[in-house]
Amino acid sequence: MSIWELFVKSFVEDGGYKEVLRGLAVTLVTAICALIIGIILGTIVAFTQIAKGKGPILRFFKGFFKVYVSIFRGTPIAVQLLFIYFVIFPAIGLGLMKAEIVGLIIFGLNSGAYVSEIMRGGILSVDKGQSEAGRALGLNNTQTMLKIVVPQAVKNVIPTIGNEFISLLKETSVLSFIGVMDLTKAFREIGSANYEYTIPYLILAISYLVLVFIASGIVKLIERRMRASDNR
Amino acid sequence: MIIAKNIYKSFGKVSVLNGISCEIKKGEKVVIIGPSGSGKSTFLRCMNLLETPTNGEIWFDDKLINEVDPYLHDDLIEKSNTCKKLIQSNIDTESALLKIKEEKLLKKYEGKEFRLAVKEFTKANHIDINFARRKVGMVFQHFNLFNNLTVLQNLTLAPVQLKIKTKEQAEEKAMALLKRIGLEEKANAYPSTLSGGQKQRIAIIRALAMEPDVMLFDEPTSALDPEMVGEVLELMKDLANEGMTMVVVTHEMGFAKEVASRILFMDGGVIKEENSPKEFFSNPKDLRLKEFLSKVL
Repeated sequence: MSIWELFVKSFVEDGGYKEVLRGLAVTLVTAICALIIGIILGTIVAFTQIAKGKGPILRFFKGFFKVYVSIFRGTPIAVQLLFIYFVIFPAIGLGLMKAEIVGLIIFGLNSGAYVSEIMRGGILSVDKGQSEAGRALGLNNTQTMLKIVVPQAVKNVIPTIGNEFISLLKETSVLSFIGVMDLTKAFREIGSANYEYTIPYLILAISYLVLVFIASGIVKLIERRMRASDNR
Repeated sequence: MIIAKNIYKSFGKVSVLNGISCEIKKGEKVVIIGPSGSGKSTFLRCMNLLETPTNGEIWFDDKLINEVDPYLHDDLIEKSNTCKKLIQSNIDTESALLKIKEEKLLKKYEGKEFRLAVKEFTKANHIDINFARRKVGMVFQHFNLFNNLTVLQNLTLAPVQLKIKTKEQAEEKAMALLKRIGLEEKANAYPSTLSGGQKQRIAIIRALAMEPDVMLFDEPTSALDPEMVGEVLELMKDLANEGMTMVVVTHEMGFAKEVASRILFMDGGVIKEENSPKEFFSNPKDLRLKEFLSKVL
């Protein structure tokens, strides 16, 4: 049998395509949910870091988030997966949690660390005069943030958030470290069925390429929509 | 209307304002001029607390808007531990007060009595800055129109958010103001599509939409193309003629001559000279002012 026939056999006849579809779903769901968690978490972290004031509670959270961001940005995602799934979760009695869920949470935490920096940059990139004008009219800090600064910051960060999503999409390929059947693992299984990896891995690479291509198209679309309000 | 008492401001080690006192009365048009770096913009920004003075007090309509500066109140100093100690060591009250003020002897903690007195004074006189700012309009050098909002939204945001007007009332007022400056057709445009002169005139009416008692102008024409300076100055003159209380930091000597009821000359963070426009230009006394005028006129 040629390598192509071998691939077709395990992909179609042995039902490999089912695994691949499931893997694709896991990859997409993990990336999307991680981004959502990341945006929520990152926004909270960013606002805490920017907030002025010297209260002990605020200071505690600032310090806590600083440690969180440096840990998650300072270690590889694969190490985070291994350590949290095999060491921390069992230690706190969550050892039986499904690997898919754990993976999703860890990717969310990881993304939150990066998004917090993106958000912080986005908020700081809005000209100081904008918030001064708001404050000078008598609006309080929260009103100024919500009505003036954040809408402009969001517009500024969309391209970078898009990039974050694309890297998440690719990084989920290490989910198999904790035994999750994602797109990468699904193709690896097909290959190892008869020790012929050429075609499976080629198609795997093409799949990621297509996914990223689609994702960046969507980001561009959103970006253009946002810009439209600039020159009305 | 606005009283500044002995204002000091420093950014880190750089001191920008070195003891400024001045009163802006209702209906006055006060123009502040001076070389760059003289602290005139910083002083203006202290008036609505965009900059917090390091020392000194700002009063708006007989209400204190920043923190109490105990050095300005003898009765507060007298309650401090430092003062009590000095008096115990046989110094009379008057010279004790003088010594404390001159050598800035008050410490962070000066005893319960002092703390209570400061608290009580604050309670009796202080108002929240956000309330004061509703009545103090501000116009910036770089316009600072809200880029994410249309012209109309720029004008109605604050009155509606602060529940001073309903949306309909605010829009009606905004359209009337736009009509006044002949820019009704720009109501739904975004600021990025406007010229500098248009932006600044809209920034002025944005402040007017709050129906302020006093307007602060921070070099309102410095960022404009020369041919757009006129339209902005015209609008400001109109406002002046209507009796608006105005404080204007500017380099426009013609405007100062024509509109000001009083001119302040600042240099090195202090007011060097203060006079009516006529005296100010024809008979300047301060040496630095003479030199400055000889260069700009």
